[in-house]
Amino acid sequence: MYFVAEVNEKECAKYNCKQCVLFCPEPNCLNYKESDHTAWVWYDRCKGCEICVYVCSDLLKRHCIEMVMVKTGD
Amino acid sequence: MGLEYVKISPGFEKYMPRDYVDLVTFGQFGKQVDVMQLGQFKELVEEHPMCAGCYMAYFIRVFYAALPNPEDTIVLGTAGCARLALSQAAVPFIYGNYGDTNAVASGLKRALSIRFPDKVKDVVVIAGDGGLMDIGFGMTMHSWFRREKFTTIMVDNEVYGNTGGQESGMSPKGIQLKMAPKGKQFDKINAVELAQTAGCVYVARISPTNPKRIAKVIRRAILAAREFGPTFIHAYTSCNIEYSIPTREVLADARAREKKDFKFYEWMTDEVKEYLEEIERKEKEKAKQEVQK
Repeated sequence: MYFVAEVNEKECAKYNCKQCVLFCPEPNCLNYKESDHTAWVWYDRCKGCEICVYVCSDLLKRHCIEMVMVKTGD
Repeated sequence: MGLEYVKISPGFEKYMPRDYVDLVTFGQFGKQVDVMQLGQFKELVEEHPMCAGCYMAYFIRVFYAALPNPEDTIVLGTAGCARLALSQAAVPFIYGNYGDTNAVASGLKRALSIRFPDKVKDVVVIAGDGGLMDIGFGMTMHSWFRREKFTTIMVDNEVYGNTGGQESGMSPKGIQLKMAPKGKQFDKINAVELAQTAGCVYVARISPTNPKRIAKVIRRAILAAREFGPTFIHAYTSCNIEYSIPTREVLADARAREKKDFKFYEWMTDEVKEYLEEIERKEKEKAKQEVQK
């Protein structure tokens, strides 16, 4: 079981902000898809630190990222 | 080192690891990326074993994205947390023994300028507060006194994080740590002032709250070191383990410290200022012309 971030892409696409991507400490973990204007998480690289949740929910009040439990192979 | 060295020989693409092919195809070799494009290109640094939510890891991520010339750069580190991520990047990394990073960097920079007189090769030291201000203090200071032309970046986590939380010269006064139960008795070393006095031509203190600003400072420090002399960046990169900061609040902590004792500070000599302004003006003009096209 892993604790990882998950982006609600539908919500995220409304803003086109990219701030979570810029503050993630892991390389290429939170990425940005320009075609859909949304951030997405590479689950294998996520260590579950929740800094993106702090940026999205606490700082920007946009609530597009939540933490979820995933199993190996999800 | 060098762009030719990085490229894959024709016909071998399918045998190379996927990450490497991505790095050459979508990476930052041979072009100047904007740090605001992070997450849209393959970064130089790969997955690393640093702790979840470590802001030293974040600083290193931004550092690699900000390098003006990654294919012609050598990074030096020493024992401490930073080397865990530095050694996972597609930029040559040299592990100096504890304390002698700046001495190794001095020799390396001189050797490179003899071996490649017509090319620019950047040497950057990234080490922690223990490596540069405690154990490596003499070597660091003497490289500045000698006005060696390379950049020194101190990623200051204010503790010996790797070995269980001993106090360092950079720990704030009065702080209680696992291996400093009585609290630290002395003040934090003023590294920025030391660097200015010792002869650095560009000095900055920064808290990692603004990626654009970090990139600008790193770029300026490296460009100034090419021409004029030693440059120094003092970056606050909290240790969320030893200082018990919940990972979610690591950025909040960096913001709070920025307001308190890590206010952004930048100092440079007049000639460096003139040189950097000239370069930045030219870059702006170039960008404007490209937009018009």
